Amino acid sequence: MGTIRFRFIMVALVVSFFAVGMAAFLNYFKYKSTINNIVKSRVLVVGRGIENTVQASLQLGMQFAELQQLPQMMAREKSADRLVRAIDVFDTSGQILYSTDSGRVGQKVPTVWTSAAQRSKSTEWSTDETDDLVAGISIKNAFDLTVGYLALRYSREEVERAATTAGREIMLAALASFVALAIVAPLALIVVIRRFERDLRTLEAAASHLEDRNQPPPAAGSAFDGAINHLRASLREANKALDDLRAKLDAAG
Amino acid sequence: MKFVRILLALGIASALLAADGNAQTSQRPYRIYAITFRGMTDVERGFQDYFTSHRIPVQITFRDLNRDASRMPGFLEEIKRTRPDLIYTWGTSVTLGVVGTYDGYDPAVNITDIPVVFTLVAAPVLAKIVPDLKSPRRNVTGVFHVAPTEAQIRAMQSYRPFKSIGILYTPTEQNSVVVVDEVREVSKRMGFSVIAKPLKLDASKKVTAEGAPEMIRDLKAQNVDWLYLPPDSYLGTQAKNVIIPAAMEARLPTFASTEQLMETGALTGLVSRYSQIGQFTAYKAEQILVNKVPASKIPVETLTRFSLQVRMDVAEALRLPPPLPMFNYAELLNAPKEPAAQ
Amino acid sequence: MLEKNYLWRVYWRLAGVIMVSVVIALAVVSYFSHRVFDRELVPETEQKAATVGASVRALVLKATSWGVPFTQLYGADQTFGDVFEENPEFTYAAITDSDGTLLFSRGREPDGAREYFHAPSILAVGLDPTATWKATKVGNLYFIAMPIASDKPLGILHIGIDGKFVDNVLLEVLLDVVVVLVVSLFFTLELLNFMAGARLASGLGEFGQQVERMRSGDFTATARVRANDEIGRLLRRIDAAIDHLNVRYEFLVGELEDKLRSATGTRRDALKPAMTALESIRSRFRFGSAPASAEGDEMNLNRIRAPLFAFILAEEMTRSYLPSYVNQLLVAIPGVSPQVVIGLPIMIFMLIVALGQPYLGSWSERVGRRRAMLIGASIATVGFAATSLAFNLYDLLLWRSLGGLGYAMVFVAAQGYVLDRTGHTNRAQGFALFIGAIMVATVCGPSIGGILADNIGFRASFAVSAVMAMLSILAIARLPATEPRSPAARPSRAPRMREVMALLFNKRFMTLTGLAAMPAKVILTGVCFYLVPLYIVSIGNTSAMAGRMLMVYAVMMVMIVPLSATLSDNSMRRDRYVSIGLIISGLSGMLLLVSDSFLVLFGVVFLLGLGQALSIAAQSALVSEHCHEEIRIYGHDAVYGVYRLLERLGNAMGPLIASLLVIFWGYQGAFVAISAMVLVCGIAFTIATRGYEFEPVTATAP
Repeated sequence: MGTIRFRFIMVALVVSFFAVGMAAFLNYFKYKSTINNIVKSRVLVVGRGIENTVQASLQLGMQFAELQQLPQMMAREKSADRLVRAIDVFDTSGQILYSTDSGRVGQKVPTVWTSAAQRSKSTEWSTDETDDLVAGISIKNAFDLTVGYLALRYSREEVERAATTAGREIMLAALASFVALAIVAPLALIVVIRRFERDLRTLEAAASHLEDRNQPPPAAGSAFDGAINHLRASLREANKALDDLRAKLDAAG
Repeated sequence: MKFVRILLALGIASALLAADGNAQTSQRPYRIYAITFRGMTDVERGFQDYFTSHRIPVQITFRDLNRDASRMPGFLEEIKRTRPDLIYTWGTSVTLGVVGTYDGYDPAVNITDIPVVFTLVAAPVLAKIVPDLKSPRRNVTGVFHVAPTEAQIRAMQSYRPFKSIGILYTPTEQNSVVVVDEVREVSKRMGFSVIAKPLKLDASKKVTAEGAPEMIRDLKAQNVDWLYLPPDSYLGTQAKNVIIPAAMEARLPTFASTEQLMETGALTGLVSRYSQIGQFTAYKAEQILVNKVPASKIPVETLTRFSLQVRMDVAEALRLPPPLPMFNYAELLNAPKEPAAQ
Repeated sequence: MLEKNYLWRVYWRLAGVIMVSVVIALAVVSYFSHRVFDRELVPETEQKAATVGASVRALVLKATSWGVPFTQLYGADQTFGDVFEENPEFTYAAITDSDGTLLFSRGREPDGAREYFHAPSILAVGLDPTATWKATKVGNLYFIAMPIASDKPLGILHIGIDGKFVDNVLLEVLLDVVVVLVVSLFFTLELLNFMAGARLASGLGEFGQQVERMRSGDFTATARVRANDEIGRLLRRIDAAIDHLNVRYEFLVGELEDKLRSATGTRRDALKPAMTALESIRSRFRFGSAPASAEGDEMNLNRIRAPLFAFILAEEMTRSYLPSYVNQLLVAIPGVSPQVVIGLPIMIFMLIVALGQPYLGSWSERVGRRRAMLIGASIATVGFAATSLAFNLYDLLLWRSLGGLGYAMVFVAAQGYVLDRTGHTNRAQGFALFIGAIMVATVCGPSIGGILADNIGFRASFAVSAVMAMLSILAIARLPATEPRSPAARPSRAPRMREVMALLFNKRFMTLTGLAAMPAKVILTGVCFYLVPLYIVSIGNTSAMAGRMLMVYAVMMVMIVPLSATLSDNSMRRDRYVSIGLIISGLSGMLLLVSDSFLVLFGVVFLLGLGQALSIAAQSALVSEHCHEEIRIYGHDAVYGVYRLLERLGNAMGPLIASLLVIFWGYQGAFVAISAMVLVCGIAFTIATRGYEFEPVTATAP
C-alpha cells in the first residue's frame, strides 16, 4: 500500500499547488490591473481637461490645426501631475500637431496608437504595447467626426514598482501557505488512507479464512464486512448443499 | 544601335507612364457653384476650411443674391451653362429658388440633374424642400441649424430645472407656431406646463409688439420659470429693445433658440456655430463628390453637439449663476464689469 | 455495487480533506493580499483623488473668475455627482469655506466630519497657498483636503474615499477564487482516480461482481489472470475457494453417477434422495466454467477517463473567450456581416466534428483506437498552439478546423474504446464514465479559461490549452495498445447518402430530429458558445464572468442528467421529458424580457441547463422508441448515424442563427428570439407526438 499512499499525497500536493498558485496569481493580477486603472484614470483626468479646452476652441470656430494656445496649456497640465511624461495631440493620419516635447511635432505616432483609438468603443482608449503606457482621448467635432486624438504618455514605472512589491509579498504568503499545506495535508490524508488500507488488510485477512467453517467472523468494522459475510454465507450454503449430497450418497451406501 | 533604340523606347514609355500616372493622381478639382444670400458668412468660411484641411481640391464659384431675388434667374442660367459638379445654397429662399418645392417644382426652371447641398435652412420639411429628413428622395440634401426642440428644453433644464415656461410668438409665422406645438408635445412627455401667448395683430392683421411687456409681466405672475424665445423672425427684431428688457425687469430668465436671438441679450441659448454648420455642409458635399453617394441617399441632418452660450452679465443681474458643471462646456460671454461681491 | 462506490467514497473523503486544507491556505493568502492591497492601493487612490480634486478646483476657480461669488456657487453637488460616477470609490465630497463651515456636499456624511472640517490642521491647509493636499482618515473614509484659492484663500475641497473599496476589489477576486476551489475539487477527484491506478478500481469491481455472482448461486470458475497486489491476491483466494467447491461438486457428481450406473433395484431407490438433492443443487447453483466473458475489458475501461478529461478540458477552456478573440482578429469579409464572421470559427469546428464523426468511427477501428486518439490529440495540440499565434481571421479558421478534426478523432476513438470494452450489461455504466469525464471538463473548463483569458490574455490561454492537450497525449500513451475484439461489437459504418435523404423526408424521424434534437443543439451552441461570451464582453464585463455562467450551465447538467435519466427510464413517456425540457429551454431566454441586468443571464443558463438535462437523456432513447419502423427498414446504425449527424449539424447552425438574430435585434433580442424559436419547436413537438403510440424499449446506449 505504500505506493498508494505516496500517490495520493502527490495528488494532494499537485492540487494544493494549483489552488494556492492560482489564488496567488489571481490576487497579483487583480492588484496589478487595479493599480493600472487607478493610474490610468489619473492620467485621463488631466487629459479631459485638455480635451475640454480643445473642444471649447473648436466650438468657437477655430480650426483643429490652428489652436495656438494649446501647447502652453498642455505644458501647464503636464507640470500639474508628475506622472505624465509627455502629451501629444495628433490628427487622424497620425501626424503630431502639438506636443509638450516640441521635437516630436510633425512626426508620426506609432500605429498601435491609432489602431487602439479606432478600436475603442468610447472616446477613451489606451494601449500598453509600447515602452511607455499611453492613455488617450479621441476628439470629435460637433457632428461627431473625429478630428484628432490626444495621447498622454506615462511611465510604466509606477505601476511596475507597485506591482513587484505587492507581487513579492503575495508570493511569499502563497509559498508559506503551500509549505504549511504540504506538511499538514499529507498528515490528514494519511489518517484517511490508513482506514482505507486497514479495510483492505481486513479484506485480505478474511479472504485467507474464507473457507474456515468454524472460524468466527473476525473483528468487524471495515466497510467490506457485508461483502465478506456474503462471501462466507454463499460458500457456506454451497458447502452445506454439497455436504447434504455427500450425506445422502453415503446413506445410500 | 538597336540596343540604344530599345532603351530609348523604354525610357519614353516609362516617362509617359509616369506622366500619365501623375495626371491621374492630381485630381481635377471639383467645381462647386455657391449662392449666398447676404455675402460671406462664417458658414462659407467653415465650408471652405473643411476642404482645405481634408485636402480635397475644389473650385468654388461664389454668387451673392445680396437679398435681391431678381438675381436668381441669372444664376440659374449660369448653372445650366457651366454645369458645376455641385450647387451650394444658403438659406431657405435661395434653396427654394434653385430647386423649388418637392411637390411643385418646375423642371424647366429648377435644377434637378445637378446635386444641391443646402445650408442654414431652419426647417427643411416645413419649407417643403424635402419630404423627409432621413430620405430626401430628390437630388437635394443639406444641413439645418436649429437645435431640436427637445435638446433645447433639456438645455434649459440643465441650467435650472423648471415647472413651467412661458413663450411669446408670432401667430402668423408658420415656423413659430410649429415650434410652439413641439414645445407643448415635449412638455407632455417631460411633465411641465407651457403658457404660450401670441403677439397681438393690428387692424391690418400684421403682428405688433404692442402689449408685449404686459404679457411678460403676466407670464411672471403666472409663475413661469423661463421665457422661451422661439425661432421667430419678428420676435428677433423686437427682442433687443422690447422683449429682453421687459424680461429682465420681471426677473425672468430667457432662453434663445437661435444665434440671432442669443445676440439680442438672452441669458442662455443653444446655438450652432456657423463655421461648424459650414463644415458639416462640406462633409455632405464630400459624400456626394468624392464618395459618389447620390444626394437622395444622404439624410438631412444637423449638428450632434451645439454650443450652449451663457451671458454672464445677465446671469449676475438675475442672480442665476450657471451650475458648476456647465463651466466645463458652456461658452461664456460678457464677464461682469465689477468683481463679484464675495 | 457497494464496492465500486466504496472507492469513490474514499476519493471524496480524501478530496474533502484536501479541500479543507486548501481553503485554509487560501484564507491565509487572502489575508495577506488584503494587507498588501490596503497598504498600496490606498495611497494610490488618494493620489487619484488629489488629481480629480485639482480638476474640480479648477472648475470652481473658473466660476469665481467669471464673477460667481464663492459662497453662491450653484450646482456643486452636480459636479460631485459626476465625480462619483467616474470614480465609484469616492463616496463623499464637500467644499467648506476658510473657517470650516460646510458650504456644499454630496454623499453620506461620515461621523466626525464636522469636527474634521474645523480641525486646525485642516484649516491650515486652506490658508497655505503652497499646500498640495493632505490625507486623513475620518470615520470609515479616507479624506483628502485641498485648498481653493484665487488671489486669496477661498475655502477647502474635501474628497472622501470609501474605506471599503479595497474590500470590494478583493470581493471580485474572491469570486474567482471560489471558482478555483470548485475546479480544484473536480481536478482532485479526477487526479485521484488517475493516480490510484486502474487496477484498484477494476479489482474492487471484480470483487464486487464475484460477491454478487456467488450470492446468486453462480460458482462458475472464471479463467482470469490475477494481478499480484492486495486485490489480486484476494481474488485469487476467492478463485481458489470456488475451485475447491467445483472439485467437490465434480467428485460428488461423478460418484453419484458411478453409483447410479452400478446400482440396481433398491440401491437405486436408496439413491433417490441423493438425486433429488443433486437436482435441487443444480437448480440453485451453477458449477463449472464460466462462459467466455462477454463482459469486455473493464480494467482498462477506466483508463480512458483521465486522457478524455484532459483533452476535453483543453477545448472547453476556450469557450468563454473564443468569440472575443475572433473579434480581435476580425477581418471584414465583404458581403458578410461581422457578427456572422465572428461565429465562423465555431461553425467550422462544429461542422467538421459533425461531418467527420460517421467516417472516423470506422477509421479509428482500422488504425486502432489508441493510435487514432494519439493522432487526434496531436493534431488538436498543433491546432491550439497555432491558434495562439494566429495572425488574423483566415489562418484562425484553418487552425480551428484542425482543432475540430483532432477533437472529432479523439471523441470518436474514445467512444469506440468504450464500446470495445463493454458488453450489453455494462455498456450504460461504461458510457456513464465517458459522459461523466466530459461533463466534469465542461464544468471546469470555461471558468478557468475565462479567468486565464482576463489575466494573461487570449493567446497565452490558447497556449495553456495546447499544453493541456499535450498532457492528454501523455495520458493516452498509457492506454493499452492491444485492442480487444468484443464479440458484442458491431462493425460500424457511416450512413449512406440515400439513407440520409430518405430519413430527412421521413415525418416521424424528422419530428424528433428536427423539432427536438436539432433545436436543442441550436440553442445550446447559439447561447453558450456565441451569445453569452460576446454579450457579456459587449456590456463591459469580463471573460471570467462569461466562464462562470457557462459553469452554471455545466453544473446543472452534471446534477440533473443522472436524475432525469433514471426518472425517464422509469416513466414510459420519454417524449414528455423531451417536451418539458424543450419548453424550459425555450423559456430561458425570455428572462431577458423581464430584466435588463446581466445577472439575469445566470437565470438563463440555469433554465437552459435544466431544460437540456431533462431532454437529453430521453432524446436518444426516444429514437428507438419513436422510429421503430425506420430502424427496421434501414437498420439501427443508419438511423442513429443520421440522427447524430443532424444533431451535430444543429451544433454548427447554432452560432449562425444566433449571429443573424443579433444583426436584426441586438444581443438581448437574439436571446429572446432564439428561445422563442425553441419554444415553438417544443410546442410543435408536443402536439405532433401527442397521439403517438410508443413501443417501450429498454434504453440501450447508442
